[in-house]
Amino acid sequence: MKKEKDWLFVLPAILVVAVMTQVPFVLTLIYSTLRWNLARPDLPIKFIGFGNYLHFLRIPDFPKLPEFYTILWQTIVMTGSTLIICAVVGFLFSILLDHDVPGINIARVLILGPFFVMTTASGVIWKTTVFNTTFGWYGVIAKALGFTPVDLLSYHPMAVIIFLFSWQWTPFFVLIILAGLQGLSGDVIDSMKIDGANWFQSTFKIKLPMIFHHVMVALMLGLIFIVKEIGLILVTTAGGPGTRSYNLPYAVYMEIFNGSNVGRAGALAAMTVVITLLGVNLLYKMAKKRKEKY
Amino acid sequence: MHGDLAKKQKIYRLKRRIRTPILTIVIFGIAILYFSPILYMFLTSFKTEYQAVSPKLFFKPTLVTLGNVLSDKNMFGYLRNSLFQVFFTTFFCLLLAIPASFALAFGKFRKKTTNEKIYVWFITTILLPPVAVIIPLYTWFQRFNLIQSPFGLLIAYIGFHVPIVVWMLHSFFSDVPLSIIEAAQIDGCSRFRQMTSIAIPLIRTGIVSAGLLVAVFVWNEFFLGFNLTGNSTATLPVYMARFREQQGMFVAQLSASSTIAVLPAVIFGWMTQKSLVKGLTLGAVKG
Repeated sequence: MKKEKDWLFVLPAILVVAVMTQVPFVLTLIYSTLRWNLARPDLPIKFIGFGNYLHFLRIPDFPKLPEFYTILWQTIVMTGSTLIICAVVGFLFSILLDHDVPGINIARVLILGPFFVMTTASGVIWKTTVFNTTFGWYGVIAKALGFTPVDLLSYHPMAVIIFLFSWQWTPFFVLIILAGLQGLSGDVIDSMKIDGANWFQSTFKIKLPMIFHHVMVALMLGLIFIVKEIGLILVTTAGGPGTRSYNLPYAVYMEIFNGSNVGRAGALAAMTVVITLLGVNLLYKMAKKRKEKY
Repeated sequence: MHGDLAKKQKIYRLKRRIRTPILTIVIFGIAILYFSPILYMFLTSFKTEYQAVSPKLFFKPTLVTLGNVLSDKNMFGYLRNSLFQVFFTTFFCLLLAIPASFALAFGKFRKKTTNEKIYVWFITTILLPPVAVIIPLYTWFQRFNLIQSPFGLLIAYIGFHVPIVVWMLHSFFSDVPLSIIEAAQIDGCSRFRQMTSIAIPLIRTGIVSAGLLVAVFVWNEFFLGFNLTGNSTATLPVYMARFREQQGMFVAQLSASSTIAVLPAVIFGWMTQKSLVKGLTLGAVKG
């Protein structure tokens, strides 16, 4: 009697989540084995096995790698460098914000701000008020200093996107790492001071190892969230020039909405999921290994 | 010897006295610089289009641009769509996730490991990137013409955000001592009463912040909103993305619109940050 009642509490949530996430995911996997192009209704939908995957993975003339590998590499560079920058800058910011100076809460609020800004808004704001070579701060300052401002968005699209991703996600790292620092017990801090540890030792040899778990949590969550991100790419570089600033989710988006190719988009989406989960798993294993060591 | 110590103490105090102001200046310098694009956006929304052409920090503020944007019928439509999604997603997410996470924390299923298993299942759905589901959703939405109806996106949002609420609430419900729930059970409270009159009041703040977090996420959500809406159902992030084509001609209008789009999320985000950390880190330590 009671057992069934407890199920009733959980069942509606499970149903909604399953119908909106798991069922479509399974369908994506099925679609990825089909030849199905929305723009070609004359071609029948046909099962072609791994054909769509091979379309991306096959290397016809060997030393020259097809586009998929370039986009995969760009995704890894984009996400990887963002995560590293976020972790390093986030840690340093957290150390700074851990001081008890007057008005520290206002400073914390200012640093956290960018995390809550919608990516499309921050993208267009950066693009028009900062990176614009005529009207933006970058253009104005460069001209005042006597440089000719180049259009960063077309010449260094990856750098710009990594910069903007890091700007948006560092606050999230600060949020978690700062919580870790403030959770350190006063005893540790006191004994550290009595033993005469200098700033470098206390920061990197004592505090960093103690909050390392928080850094790993931030990295894992950051990876999951950053891989999803296409809004910022769309509004700043639109993946361009050419496909130079595509990441995998953006490629999926282009494949279905511009190419109308359901099968190939499905294959790309499935590979994106696998690669993301491999990344998360790698980080999880690293965190676990460390935990066992200590 | 004694004099030495006094001297040392003096130097230490002096160091502290110099250190605090310098640290304050450094911290605030970095914080303001970091936030400056948003700050400048707020400022520019009080400029006229002509003033906004030159990037200046000092000018005569006016409410003309903000007024124009707010009275724009298009903007009003997007704002209304966004508010609709935020309100109903948050409401239904809480409605579904509160009983679910309550039962996962205190419910008894046939096997003892079931609670853990369902909880882990919810967490793994958070790992799923939206690109993994967008293709079937898009084809369904096209077929049943849900693109032109706000309810299609609403269901998708509920499905995607329930796991996050379960994750956060689980860590709050776990703080409620089991003995209280058991005492209520012995007193003859039904499971439903145990939840509504005992557990929910105890974690009220957790529920509020989980709700606010979902509200902020939905307000800012772009990927699903962009792909699953038509002209009449698009939300604010989709509207903001339309500014990408313009180059510097409507900076004031752009700033005013983004100010309206950004301000609520930033304020609500700041309000939830403490519980956000608790929910995320606790959940992650266990998961």
